[in-house]
Amino acid sequence: MTTSRQHLDDLREIVAEVFELEPDEVSDTADFVAEYDADSLRAIEILARVEKRYQVEIPQAELASMTNLLAVHAVLGRYAGW
Amino acid sequence: MLDHARIRALLPHRHPMVLLDRVESIEPGVRLIATKAVTVTEPCYRDLPDTAPASAYAYPVSLLLESFGQAAAVLWLHGGRRPDGLLPMLAALRDCVLEHPVYPGDVLRHEVLLEHGGEGVSTASGTTRVGDRRVAVMGSFLAVVRPRTDLPIPTTREDPRP
Repeated sequence: MTTSRQHLDDLREIVAEVFELEPDEVSDTADFVAEYDADSLRAIEILARVEKRYQVEIPQAELASMTNLLAVHAVLGRYAGW
Repeated sequence: MLDHARIRALLPHRHPMVLLDRVESIEPGVRLIATKAVTVTEPCYRDLPDTAPASAYAYPVSLLLESFGQAAAVLWLHGGRRPDGLLPMLAALRDCVLEHPVYPGDVLRHEVLLEHGGEGVSTASGTTRVGDRRVAVMGSFLAVVRPRTDLPIPTTREDPRP
């Protein structure tokens, strides 16, 4: 059974790929904009990869709240029905 | 196969920015093969002087990428339920490698795979060939939809040159 921790680590890998970092460089709570210099395109790229990985549809209105790894996990959980 | 009229119905682009001639085959939501012939009548060659060297006729990489992106858009939008008033827009490219230049007379053959076709975002990958030669590898094309009202679209066709 996939646990929340595993989901979080999967998401960490996705986020690290988008920001071209190693997964262990992506912390749970680091703000994407402040820490990784994220812009709106990077955010959309994360959304697209999460949708593909988990086969869910996440409205782009959620982008504003997807500001760190835990927040992405929370948004995904709502749409994946966790 | 999709003829040009069908391509035009799916894409918001218009002359001279429709960079796709024909869709040879399509497996909706999965893969597509589309062609685009490069010709010297295209606007990108209009202002080349007679003294321009042969290399100046290399097809602009930006247009090659755009052409592939339009093929990806057709694959994404074909058969989908896309609400009116939304336009597909190329957002980000990753891991695209141009291997050989393309010249007038070449026919680009885009082979596109839809990696993810969501309601609001999509990613596609693939290759572009001229004959048997691969000229480009496209790692990831990320596209989004945006409301038409966000993007002013010219209603008249004007030549800005004097």
